[in-house]
Amino acid sequence: MNEKTMQVTPSVDAETDASAASLSDRPIAIQVNDLDFYYGKSQALHGINMVFPERSVTGMIGPSGCGKSTLLRVLNRMYDLYPGQRATGEVIFSGQNILGSGLDLNALRSRVGMVFQKPTPFPMSIYDNIAFGIRLHERVSRSEMDGRVEDALRRVALWPEVKDRLQASATALSGGQQQRLCIARTIAVRPEVILLDEPTSALDPVSTARIEELLDELKTEFTIAIVTHNMQQAARCADQVAFFYLGELVEVDSTARMFTAPRESRTQDYITGRFG
Amino acid sequence: MMAQAVSPAAQRPQRSNFQAVQRRITDKLATGLSWLAMLIVVFVLGSILWTLLKNGLPGLTASLFTHSMGAPDTGGGLANAIVGSLLQTGLAILLGAPAGLLTGIFLAEYGANTKLARTVRFVSDMLLSAPSILIGLFIYMLLVEPFGHFSGFSGAAALSLMAMPIIVRTTEDMLRLVPVSMREAGIALGAAKWRVILFICVRAARGGIMTGVLLAIARVAGETAPLLFTSLGNSEWSLDMRRPMASLPVAIYQYAGSAYQDWMQQAWTGALLVTVGVLIINIVVRVGIRGGRT
Repeated sequence: MNEKTMQVTPSVDAETDASAASLSDRPIAIQVNDLDFYYGKSQALHGINMVFPERSVTGMIGPSGCGKSTLLRVLNRMYDLYPGQRATGEVIFSGQNILGSGLDLNALRSRVGMVFQKPTPFPMSIYDNIAFGIRLHERVSRSEMDGRVEDALRRVALWPEVKDRLQASATALSGGQQQRLCIARTIAVRPEVILLDEPTSALDPVSTARIEELLDELKTEFTIAIVTHNMQQAARCADQVAFFYLGELVEVDSTARMFTAPRESRTQDYITGRFG
Repeated sequence: MMAQAVSPAAQRPQRSNFQAVQRRITDKLATGLSWLAMLIVVFVLGSILWTLLKNGLPGLTASLFTHSMGAPDTGGGLANAIVGSLLQTGLAILLGAPAGLLTGIFLAEYGANTKLARTVRFVSDMLLSAPSILIGLFIYMLLVEPFGHFSGFSGAAALSLMAMPIIVRTTEDMLRLVPVSMREAGIALGAAKWRVILFICVRAARGGIMTGVLLAIARVAGETAPLLFTSLGNSEWSLDMRRPMASLPVAIYQYAGSAYQDWMQQAWTGALLVTVGVLIINIVVRVGIRGGRT
C-alpha cells in the first residue's frame, strides 16, 4: 500500500498528471457548491466548493475543528437531527440538491451510508445487525436475506470469523471486528456513497490495515469519502485529498500532487507537520 | 549539581513519612466510621427480618394459602388477601408500565428540554414523592365516590399511579445512557426515528427499563395507604375487581390492630410474605442487572 506514495516521489509530474486526469474524467458523484454551515450562530464551513468523483476515495484532512467532519455530516443530512444546525448552498447528488426541503431523508441515507469513529454495533445479533438495515428499505425472503448477510460479511472479510456464531451478540466482537461489521451493515443497504468519519482512529494497527485494504476493494463499487487525522492513511487510501483549515477548503487535488507539490503553503505546512 | 540533586531527595522520606502517618490515621478513621454506619444499617435491617421470621414463621401453614380470612379462631387464612394483592398489583403494572414507558420515551427522545417535557418531568417527580394516602384519596374522589362503592379496580388504579412515576424516571434515565453514536448509526442507515428508538435504544436499555418495572412492582406491592380508600379490603374470597377486594397490606393493617391472638399471628405471617416477595423481586433485579451487563 505504501508503494503508491513511494513510487510517486521520483517522477512527480508524470504520475500526478496521470492520476489527476483519470480523476477529472470520472463522472461526479457529489458536487458541493458554495456550502456554508452554521452551528447556531457560529459558522463552521465557509463557501466550500468541491466534487467527489464516482468510485474513488476522497480523503479529508485538517486539524481538529477544521470542519471536515461537519462537511461529511452535511452529505447525509445527519445535522438535521440537531436543531440550530443549518447549511446553505448546494450539494448536488444524482441531479438533486439534497439540502432542499421536502427530501426523503431516510431514502437519502440509504443511498449515502456512514461509518463512525467508534464502532457502533446495535444491541442484537451479528446477523440482525446486518439484516436491520436491509429490512428498513426492502422486503426480502428469508433465504435471500441469508445470502445478503453472508455477502456483506464476506466483503468485509468478516465471514470466516463469524459464520459459526451469527446469532451471537455483536457487542462481543473485538473493536476491529465491530468496525468491519459496521461497514458490512452500511454496504448491505447498497448505498452509492459511503462516508467514513475517522473509521480507524479507535482501532489497533492490524485492524486499521485491514480496513484500509477493504477501502481499496470497496472503491471499485462505491464513492468513498473518508475523514482522517492520519496523513499516512490519506496518502495510502485516497485518490484525491481535500485539506480543510478553520472551516475553509484550502486545497483539493489528487493525492499525489497534494503530498508532493501542494499549491498552498498552508497545505505544505500541515502535511510536513509544522502545525495541526 | 550533585549536592542540589541529592538534598531534596534526602528530605523527601522524612516529609512523606509524616504525611503517610497522617494519611493512615485519616484512612483508618474514615474506614472505621463507614463500617460503623454500615453495621447500624445492617443491624436494623437484620433485626426487622429476624423479628418477621421469628413471629411470622410459626403461622406459615398450608391453610394460610387455602383459606380466606375469617372470624377469629375459625381457622381463617390469607388466601383472598394474597390473590387480591397479586391481582391489584398485576393490574396496576399492566396499566402503569405502558404509560410509564411511553412517558419515559417521550421525555428522553422527543420532549428533551421543551416546556412540555419539563412540566411532565416535574409532575412525574412530584408524583414520585407524593404521600401515598393522597393518591388514595384522589382515586377515591375519581373512581370510588362516583360509582358509590369501593373496588379492586380503583385499588389497582391507585397503585398504578404510584408505579408510573418510578417507571417514567428509570426509563428516561436508562434511555439517556444510550450513547448518541448508537442513535446516529441507526439514523445513518436510513431508519426513521421511531424505529431507532424502539428497535435500538429501548433494546440497548432494556435491562435497566426492566429493573425499573420490577422496582415499581416491589414498591407498590407493599403499599397500604392508597388501598384504604379504594379497594378497602374484603374478608370474603372474591375475584371480582368491581367489588371491594382484600390485599395483604390492608389485611396486615386490620389484623395487627386487633386483639385476637391468631389474627395477630396472621398479620406477622402476612408481613413476612410481603417482605420475602419484595426481597425476591429485588434479588431478581440485581441478578438481572449483572446478567445484562455481560
